[in-house]
Amino acid sequence: MLDLMGIAVRGLLHRKKRSWLTITGILIGITAVVALVSLGESMQLAVRRSFEELGYDVVMILPGELGGGFGGPSSFSTSFELDTESLTEVEGVEEIGLLNFQSVYVKADGNEGFLDALGVSENIFSFFKVEIVAGRGFSPDERGVVILGREVARELDLRAGSTLQIEDHPFKVVGIYSADSRLDEDAIILPLADLQELLGEEGVTMALVRVAPGDDVGQTAKRIENFLYRSRGRRDLSVQTMEEVHEVVQRALGILGAFLGGIAGIALLVGGIGVMNTMYTAVLERTREIGVMKAVGARNSQIALIFLMESGLMGLVGGALGTGIGSFLNFAAVTAAKRALGTRVLEYGISWWLVLGALGFSFLVGAIAGLLPARAAAKLDPVEALRYE
Amino acid sequence: MRDEAIVELLGVWKIYHMGRRGRITVEALRGVDLAVRRGEFLAVMGPSGSGKSTLLHLMGCLDRPTEGKVLFEGTDVSTMRSAALARIRNRRVGFVFQSFNLSPNLTALGNVELPMVFAGVPRRERLARARELLSRVGLRERERHLPAELSGGEQQRVAIARALANFPDLLLADEPTGNLDSETGHGVLSLLSETNVEGVTVVVVTHDPEVATAAKRRLRIRDGHIVEASDA
Repeated sequence: MLDLMGIAVRGLLHRKKRSWLTITGILIGITAVVALVSLGESMQLAVRRSFEELGYDVVMILPGELGGGFGGPSSFSTSFELDTESLTEVEGVEEIGLLNFQSVYVKADGNEGFLDALGVSENIFSFFKVEIVAGRGFSPDERGVVILGREVARELDLRAGSTLQIEDHPFKVVGIYSADSRLDEDAIILPLADLQELLGEEGVTMALVRVAPGDDVGQTAKRIENFLYRSRGRRDLSVQTMEEVHEVVQRALGILGAFLGGIAGIALLVGGIGVMNTMYTAVLERTREIGVMKAVGARNSQIALIFLMESGLMGLVGGALGTGIGSFLNFAAVTAAKRALGTRVLEYGISWWLVLGALGFSFLVGAIAGLLPARAAAKLDPVEALRYE
Repeated sequence: MRDEAIVELLGVWKIYHMGRRGRITVEALRGVDLAVRRGEFLAVMGPSGSGKSTLLHLMGCLDRPTEGKVLFEGTDVSTMRSAALARIRNRRVGFVFQSFNLSPNLTALGNVELPMVFAGVPRRERLARARELLSRVGLRERERHLPAELSGGEQQRVAIARALANFPDLLLADEPTGNLDSETGHGVLSLLSETNVEGVTVVVVTHDPEVATAAKRRLRIRDGHIVEASDA
């Protein structure tokens, strides 16, 4: 077996340029598969990390039905009023965090314009972490203060201690946060009460409820839903456990991943056809050699195996290089996304099953592409093959 | 006599169908009866297209007759499966061709090893045998050379070494000196004679009178019939 492999390798080396060109075809296909599939994995990883950070013991209350809008602060603009005191009485509810996403008009040192603002209840940082890179966070009951995204601070040339005008009210910058907070760097965070006062309304756009330890998250969510229906008389709010939300997002990403994988699969198919083409040419070119091998006693199965090994090897080499390049591209994309968007929508990650799968699959593509040419070689009539010029 | 035959042809016809849809039929052999005795050196002579090569291919189990029987050591090989025929070619027969037919991407050593690779001989044993054979044909120091780096005579000597790799009983040579100058051809002929002296049955198809003279028995073939036989 190993000796037949030696013959196969020499066959490949004998037509180096063509072998490499064929390998490049597989390489491109596998690069596309690995890059796109690992990109999908990176997205899923980032999503999973976000949910883990928020915790699966958290229930979300949102206006309307879940779906479509889970993407970023600006997509939650419908506000609603919530009787938090009564909600706290519901069995299993431990803590309620409130959020309000709005656009506000900001002035600072001659710069002015609209910015995304996130009004938060003071306990919100126990739900998700905000990475403060300069200054500090809010103190309890503190008012008239704001934390800026690093991007905003840079553009407005502000630092901790500076002041700015939000809707014509003065605010003091107490801290700067970075994108490691999973919050875009081009937004600002201020106390919920301040934002509500500026906008003259009592509403929030999202509420996070932490379920008490030992209480079932799903059942608590049901109780909250019932409470909301009873107290409001209508179903205008949806209650989602993190698990449900995660599932929806994961399913969407799964479909996206399968779609991208399918496109990459086409590239790989083209690569496979390239291998088949090369192998047919090789069989034709080496017809006489095949005749000689048969004359010196090679069995049909041995001839077929030599050609299968050649095509499989081309697949494997293309696959190995493609996996390397593909995972590098994924790494580059994650890094670029972090720089350009200033947020962690991607998290670099490549799984062993993807690497091993890509290698196995590329060998398989090569071998399958070589199947028919190898059969053609094995079936050659030795006398005719020897006569072939 | 018959018991001594290594290969025997009984009423063998070989008809090729050529051209589009195989409409043109060529009768390469027309009812040939022939017994090759163990240990003999037989020369088959005849003009081009007379069926010499076909005869050789049938003796070497490289082809099956259209009609009649080919007995290899008394066993009818005409109906054998291709794997069984491959086994006979591998272990019992050695082929030498006019155009050497060495594998261009294998070294001299690799080419001699080839039949042993297909026979599953372990590497160490294979290398020792291949080197011994290359020494015997005077090419031990050129074992790392590719066929393209060897002269015609050298290539044919490598081909003979390859043919002898698995200790065959029967060596079949198709115009072995056809592409060589007379001096080089003489060297190759000596190798074939030596091989025969060592007990290997040799059948040579040739135009070359010198080769024919070296043989112990000569046959002349014309239009698919054996027309003349003579013992030296």
